[in-house]
Amino acid sequence: MGALKTKDGMSMGSFVAIWAGLLCIVGIEVFLTYRHFSSQKLLLFLLIFACIEASIAVMFFMHLKYERPSLFWSLVPALLFVLFMMDHFWPDALRLEHLRVVHW
Amino acid sequence: MSESEMEMAGHEAVREESPYGIQHKKLGIWLFILSDAVTFASVLFAYGYVRVGSPDWTRPFEFSPTIANGMVMTLALLTSSLTMLGALEAAKHDNKSRCLAWLGATMLLGTLFAALHIREWLKMMEDGWRLFQNPVGGPALFGATFFSITGLHLTHVVAGVVALAAVAGKFHRSRMNAGHVETVGLYWHFVDIVWMFVFPLVYLMNAK
Repeated sequence: MGALKTKDGMSMGSFVAIWAGLLCIVGIEVFLTYRHFSSQKLLLFLLIFACIEASIAVMFFMHLKYERPSLFWSLVPALLFVLFMMDHFWPDALRLEHLRVVHW
Repeated sequence: MSESEMEMAGHEAVREESPYGIQHKKLGIWLFILSDAVTFASVLFAYGYVRVGSPDWTRPFEFSPTIANGMVMTLALLTSSLTMLGALEAAKHDNKSRCLAWLGATMLLGTLFAALHIREWLKMMEDGWRLFQNPVGGPALFGATFFSITGLHLTHVVAGVVALAAVAGKFHRSRMNAGHVETVGLYWHFVDIVWMFVFPLVYLMNAK
Protein backbone atom coordinates (compact mmCIF):
# COMPACT_ATOMS: atom_id res chain seq x y z
CA MET A 1 0.00 0.00 0.00
CA GLY A 2 2.85 2.35 0.75
CA ALA A 3 4.02 2.03 -2.87
CA LEU A 4 0.70 3.25 -4.27
CA LYS A 5 1.01 6.86 -5.32
CA THR A 6 -1.62 9.37 -6.30
CA LYS A 7 -1.33 11.31 -9.54
CA ASP A 8 0.32 14.13 -7.57
CA GLY A 9 3.07 11.79 -6.33
CA MET A 10 1.92 11.64 -2.71
CA SER A 11 2.13 8.20 -1.15
CA MET A 12 0.93 6.98 2.23
CA GLY A 13 4.56 7.24 3.37
CA SER A 14 4.48 11.00 2.64
CA PHE A 15 1.21 11.34 4.54
CA VAL A 16 2.64 9.47 7.53
CA ALA A 17 5.63 11.83 7.54
CA ILE A 18 3.31 14.85 7.47
CA TRP A 19 1.21 13.31 10.24
CA ALA A 20 4.33 12.86 12.36
CA GLY A 21 5.32 16.47 11.67
CA LEU A 22 1.92 17.71 12.79
CA LEU A 23 2.22 15.70 16.01
CA CYS A 24 5.62 17.30 16.62
CA ILE A 25 4.06 20.75 16.25
CA VAL A 26 1.43 19.81 18.83
CA GLY A 27 4.25 18.70 21.14
CA ILE A 28 5.98 22.05 20.65
CA GLU A 29 2.75 23.86 21.50
CA VAL A 30 2.40 21.92 24.75
CA PHE A 31 6.06 22.57 25.55
CA LEU A 32 5.66 26.31 24.99
CA THR A 33 2.57 26.37 27.21
CA TYR A 34 4.68 25.47 30.23
CA ARG A 35 7.49 27.94 29.51
CA HIS A 36 5.70 30.68 31.48
CA PHE A 37 5.37 33.18 28.67
CA SER A 38 2.97 36.08 29.05
CA SER A 39 -0.56 35.42 27.76
CA GLN A 40 -0.07 37.65 24.73
CA LYS A 41 3.20 35.99 23.73
CA LEU A 42 1.82 32.47 24.27
CA LEU A 43 -1.29 33.34 22.24
CA LEU A 44 0.88 34.63 19.40
CA PHE A 45 3.08 31.49 19.36
CA LEU A 46 0.09 29.15 19.54
CA LEU A 47 -1.74 30.98 16.75
CA ILE A 48 1.33 30.88 14.52
CA PHE A 49 1.79 27.15 15.03
CA ALA A 50 -1.95 26.50 14.57
CA CYS A 51 -1.87 28.38 11.26
CA ILE A 52 1.16 26.36 10.15
CA GLU A 53 -0.62 23.12 11.01
CA ALA A 54 -3.78 24.22 9.25
CA SER A 55 -1.87 25.27 6.12
CA ILE A 56 -0.06 21.92 5.96
CA ALA A 57 -3.32 20.00 6.44
CA VAL A 58 -5.17 22.07 3.82
CA MET A 59 -2.41 21.85 1.24
CA PHE A 60 -1.52 18.17 1.62
CA PHE A 61 -4.30 16.30 3.42
CA MET A 62 -7.02 18.19 1.56
CA HIS A 63 -4.93 18.20 -1.65
CA LEU A 64 -5.47 21.91 -2.31
CA LYS A 65 -1.84 22.15 -3.43
CA TYR A 66 -2.63 19.80 -6.31
CA GLU A 67 -5.86 21.40 -7.45
CA ARG A 68 -6.04 24.11 -10.06
CA PRO A 69 -4.64 27.47 -8.84
CA SER A 70 -8.02 29.06 -9.62
CA LEU A 71 -9.60 27.03 -6.78
CA PHE A 72 -6.93 28.13 -4.32
CA TRP A 73 -7.25 31.80 -5.33
CA SER A 74 -11.04 31.65 -5.12
CA LEU A 75 -11.12 30.20 -1.61
CA VAL A 76 -8.12 31.33 0.38
CA PRO A 77 -8.00 35.12 -0.17
CA ALA A 78 -11.70 35.43 0.69
CA LEU A 79 -11.17 33.52 3.93
CA LEU A 80 -8.08 35.53 4.83
CA PHE A 81 -9.93 38.78 4.15
CA VAL A 82 -12.75 37.83 6.53
CA LEU A 83 -10.28 36.78 9.23
CA PHE A 84 -8.33 39.99 8.75
CA MET A 85 -11.43 42.16 9.08
CA MET A 86 -12.50 40.29 12.23
CA ASP A 87 -9.19 41.11 13.87
CA HIS A 88 -9.92 44.85 13.81
CA PHE A 89 -11.89 44.47 17.04
CA TRP A 90 -8.92 43.42 19.22
CA PRO A 91 -8.23 47.00 20.41
CA ASP A 92 -11.78 47.07 21.81
CA ALA A 93 -11.06 43.93 23.80
CA LEU A 94 -7.88 45.43 25.20
CA ARG A 95 -9.74 48.66 26.11
CA LEU A 96 -12.53 46.67 27.75
CA GLU A 97 -10.28 45.79 30.63
CA HIS A 98 -9.88 49.47 31.53
CA LEU A 99 -13.53 50.39 31.08
CA ARG A 100 -14.79 48.26 33.94
CA VAL A 101 -16.68 49.95 36.77
CA VAL A 102 -14.61 50.01 39.95
CA HIS A 103 -16.61 49.03 43.03
CA TRP A 104 -15.30 50.76 46.16
CA MET B 1 -29.82 9.95 -14.56
CA SER B 2 -26.22 8.89 -13.92
CA GLU B 3 -23.36 10.64 -15.66
CA SER B 4 -22.78 7.70 -18.02
CA GLU B 5 -26.49 7.52 -18.88
CA MET B 6 -26.54 11.21 -19.67
CA GLU B 7 -23.50 10.83 -21.92
CA MET B 8 -25.15 7.96 -23.79
CA ALA B 9 -28.29 10.05 -24.25
CA GLY B 10 -26.18 12.82 -25.82
CA HIS B 11 -26.73 15.31 -23.04
CA GLU B 12 -23.07 15.95 -22.26
CA ALA B 13 -23.16 19.28 -24.11
CA VAL B 14 -25.86 20.58 -21.74
CA ARG B 15 -23.63 20.33 -18.68
CA GLU B 16 -21.09 23.08 -18.25
CA GLU B 17 -17.60 22.14 -17.20
CA SER B 18 -16.71 23.16 -13.68
CA PRO B 19 -14.42 26.23 -13.78
CA TYR B 20 -12.10 24.54 -11.30
CA GLY B 21 -11.91 21.19 -13.05
CA ILE B 22 -13.51 19.38 -10.13
CA GLN B 23 -16.84 17.67 -9.58
CA HIS B 24 -19.65 19.87 -8.36
CA LYS B 25 -19.98 18.00 -5.08
CA LYS B 26 -16.33 18.71 -4.38
CA LEU B 27 -16.78 22.42 -5.07
CA GLY B 28 -19.87 22.36 -2.89
CA ILE B 29 -18.06 20.87 0.07
CA TRP B 30 -15.21 23.37 -0.32
CA LEU B 31 -17.70 26.25 -0.19
CA PHE B 32 -19.37 24.72 2.84
CA ILE B 33 -15.98 24.32 4.52
CA LEU B 34 -15.24 27.98 3.83
CA SER B 35 -18.45 29.10 5.49
CA ASP B 36 -17.98 26.77 8.45
CA ALA B 37 -14.42 28.01 8.86
CA VAL B 38 -15.72 31.55 9.18
CA THR B 39 -18.29 30.36 11.74
CA PHE B 40 -15.62 28.76 13.89
CA ALA B 41 -13.31 31.73 13.44
CA SER B 42 -15.98 34.11 14.68
CA VAL B 43 -16.79 31.88 17.67
CA LEU B 44 -13.10 31.59 18.57
CA PHE B 45 -12.67 35.30 18.07
CA ALA B 46 -15.57 36.04 20.42
CA TYR B 47 -13.95 33.76 22.99
CA GLY B 48 -10.63 35.56 22.58
CA TYR B 49 -12.39 38.91 22.90
CA VAL B 50 -14.01 38.11 26.26
CA ARG B 51 -10.88 36.39 27.48
CA VAL B 52 -8.62 39.34 26.78
CA GLY B 53 -11.17 41.71 28.29
CA SER B 54 -11.41 39.73 31.56
CA PRO B 55 -8.44 40.35 33.85
CA ASP B 56 -9.58 37.60 36.26
CA TRP B 57 -10.00 34.88 33.62
CA THR B 58 -9.88 31.39 35.15
CA ARG B 59 -7.12 29.01 34.11
CA PRO B 60 -8.25 25.73 35.64
CA PHE B 61 -6.73 23.03 33.44
CA GLU B 62 -4.12 20.83 35.05
CA PHE B 63 -1.72 18.89 32.82
CA SER B 64 -3.24 15.68 34.18
CA PRO B 65 -5.91 14.86 33.33
CA THR B 66 -7.13 17.71 31.12
CA ILE B 67 -4.17 18.64 28.93
CA ALA B 68 -3.02 15.02 28.67
CA ASN B 69 -6.54 14.01 27.65
CA GLY B 70 -6.52 16.80 25.08
CA MET B 71 -3.25 15.48 23.66
CA VAL B 72 -4.73 11.99 23.32
CA MET B 73 -7.79 13.49 21.60
CA THR B 74 -5.49 15.39 19.22
CA LEU B 75 -3.58 12.18 18.45
CA ALA B 76 -6.86 10.36 17.75
CA LEU B 77 -8.16 13.05 15.42
CA LEU B 78 -4.87 13.50 13.54
CA THR B 79 -4.59 9.73 13.10
CA SER B 80 -8.16 9.66 11.81
CA SER B 81 -7.14 12.13 9.09
CA LEU B 82 -4.37 9.71 8.14
CA THR B 83 -6.77 6.76 7.98
CA MET B 84 -9.15 8.89 5.91
CA LEU B 85 -6.35 9.41 3.39
CA GLY B 86 -5.84 5.63 3.34
CA ALA B 87 -9.54 5.19 2.60
CA LEU B 88 -9.38 7.66 -0.27
CA GLU B 89 -6.31 6.03 -1.81
CA ALA B 90 -7.99 2.62 -1.60
CA ALA B 91 -11.20 4.00 -3.13
CA LYS B 92 -9.29 5.57 -6.03
CA HIS B 93 -7.68 2.18 -6.72
CA ASP B 94 -11.07 0.43 -6.56
CA ASN B 95 -10.03 -1.59 -3.53
CA LYS B 96 -13.42 -1.73 -1.82
CA SER B 97 -12.55 -3.90 1.17
CA ARG B 98 -9.47 -1.88 2.05
CA CYS B 99 -11.38 1.39 1.66
CA LEU B 100 -14.10 0.16 4.00
CA ALA B 101 -11.49 -0.96 6.53
CA TRP B 102 -9.86 2.48 6.51
CA LEU B 103 -13.24 4.18 6.77
CA GLY B 104 -14.04 1.95 9.72
CA ALA B 105 -10.80 2.94 11.41
CA THR B 106 -11.60 6.62 10.81
CA MET B 107 -15.05 6.22 12.35
CA LEU B 108 -13.58 4.37 15.30
CA LEU B 109 -11.06 7.13 15.98
CA GLY B 110 -13.76 9.77 15.61
CA THR B 111 -15.94 7.92 18.08
CA LEU B 112 -12.99 7.59 20.47
CA PHE B 113 -12.47 11.36 20.24
CA ALA B 114 -16.14 11.99 21.01
CA ALA B 115 -16.12 9.53 23.92
CA LEU B 116 -13.03 11.13 25.49
CA HIS B 117 -14.60 14.54 25.04
CA ILE B 118 -17.88 13.56 26.66
CA ARG B 119 -16.02 11.92 29.53
CA GLU B 120 -14.16 15.17 30.08
CA TRP B 121 -17.37 17.16 30.02
CA LEU B 122 -18.96 14.86 32.59
CA LYS B 123 -15.93 15.23 34.86
CA MET B 124 -16.07 19.01 34.59
CA MET B 125 -19.79 19.06 35.31
CA GLU B 126 -19.13 16.87 38.34
CA ASP B 127 -16.67 19.51 39.52
CA GLY B 128 -19.35 22.18 39.24
CA TRP B 129 -18.68 23.66 35.80
CA ARG B 130 -21.78 24.66 33.87
CA LEU B 131 -22.67 26.85 30.94
CA PHE B 132 -22.93 29.86 33.29
CA GLN B 133 -21.32 28.59 36.45
CA ASN B 134 -17.72 28.81 37.57
CA PRO B 135 -17.02 26.79 40.73
CA VAL B 136 -13.59 28.31 41.37
CA GLY B 137 -14.64 31.94 41.10
CA GLY B 138 -13.86 34.17 38.14
CA PRO B 139 -16.01 34.88 35.09
CA ALA B 140 -18.94 32.57 34.45
CA LEU B 141 -18.23 33.15 30.76
CA PHE B 142 -15.45 30.58 31.01
CA GLY B 143 -18.01 27.80 31.10
CA ALA B 144 -20.10 29.43 28.39
CA THR B 145 -17.20 29.77 25.98
CA PHE B 146 -15.66 26.40 26.78
CA PHE B 147 -18.82 24.33 26.45
CA SER B 148 -20.15 26.17 23.41
CA ILE B 149 -16.90 26.03 21.43
CA THR B 150 -16.09 22.42 22.26
CA GLY B 151 -19.76 21.48 21.91
CA LEU B 152 -19.94 23.00 18.42
CA HIS B 153 -16.81 21.09 17.43
CA LEU B 154 -18.09 17.86 19.00
CA THR B 155 -21.32 18.22 17.01
CA HIS B 156 -19.27 18.45 13.83
CA VAL B 157 -17.29 15.34 14.81
CA VAL B 158 -20.44 13.31 15.50
CA ALA B 159 -22.03 14.51 12.25
CA GLY B 160 -18.83 13.53 10.45
CA VAL B 161 -18.90 10.01 11.89
CA VAL B 162 -22.53 9.64 10.76
CA ALA B 163 -21.63 10.93 7.28
CA LEU B 164 -18.69 8.51 7.08
CA ALA B 165 -20.99 5.63 8.02
CA ALA B 166 -23.49 6.63 5.36
CA VAL B 167 -20.81 6.92 2.66
CA ALA B 168 -19.22 3.63 3.74
CA GLY B 169 -22.56 1.85 3.51
CA LYS B 170 -23.33 3.22 0.06
CA PHE B 171 -19.79 2.66 -1.19
CA HIS B 172 -20.06 -0.98 -0.06
CA ARG B 173 -23.22 -1.33 -2.19
CA SER B 174 -21.48 0.49 -5.10
CA ARG B 175 -23.99 3.33 -4.95
CA MET B 176 -21.23 5.82 -4.21
CA ASN B 177 -17.77 6.12 -5.67
CA ALA B 178 -14.33 7.52 -4.82
CA GLY B 179 -15.59 11.05 -5.45
CA HIS B 180 -18.03 10.72 -2.57
CA VAL B 181 -15.32 9.32 -0.33
CA GLU B 182 -13.16 12.31 -1.22
CA THR B 183 -16.00 14.73 -0.47
CA VAL B 184 -16.65 13.34 3.01
CA GLY B 185 -12.87 13.15 3.51
CA LEU B 186 -12.54 16.89 2.90
CA TYR B 187 -15.14 17.54 5.60
CA TRP B 188 -13.34 15.21 7.99
CA HIS B 189 -9.99 16.95 7.46
CA PHE B 190 -11.70 20.29 8.10
CA VAL B 191 -13.00 19.01 11.47
CA ASP B 192 -9.42 18.03 12.31
CA ILE B 193 -8.10 21.45 11.29
CA VAL B 194 -10.63 23.20 13.53
CA TRP B 195 -9.36 21.14 16.48
CA MET B 196 -5.84 22.38 15.71
CA PHE B 197 -7.13 25.83 16.74
CA VAL B 198 -9.50 24.76 19.51
CA PHE B 199 -6.93 22.72 21.45
CA PRO B 200 -4.30 25.48 21.78
CA LEU B 201 -6.71 28.38 22.20
CA VAL B 202 -9.23 26.79 24.57
CA TYR B 203 -7.13 24.21 26.40
CA LEU B 204 -3.48 25.31 26.34
CA MET B 205 -4.30 29.01 26.89
CA ASN B 206 -6.23 27.99 30.02
CA ALA B 207 -3.61 25.63 31.42
CA LYS B 208 -2.56 26.23 35.02
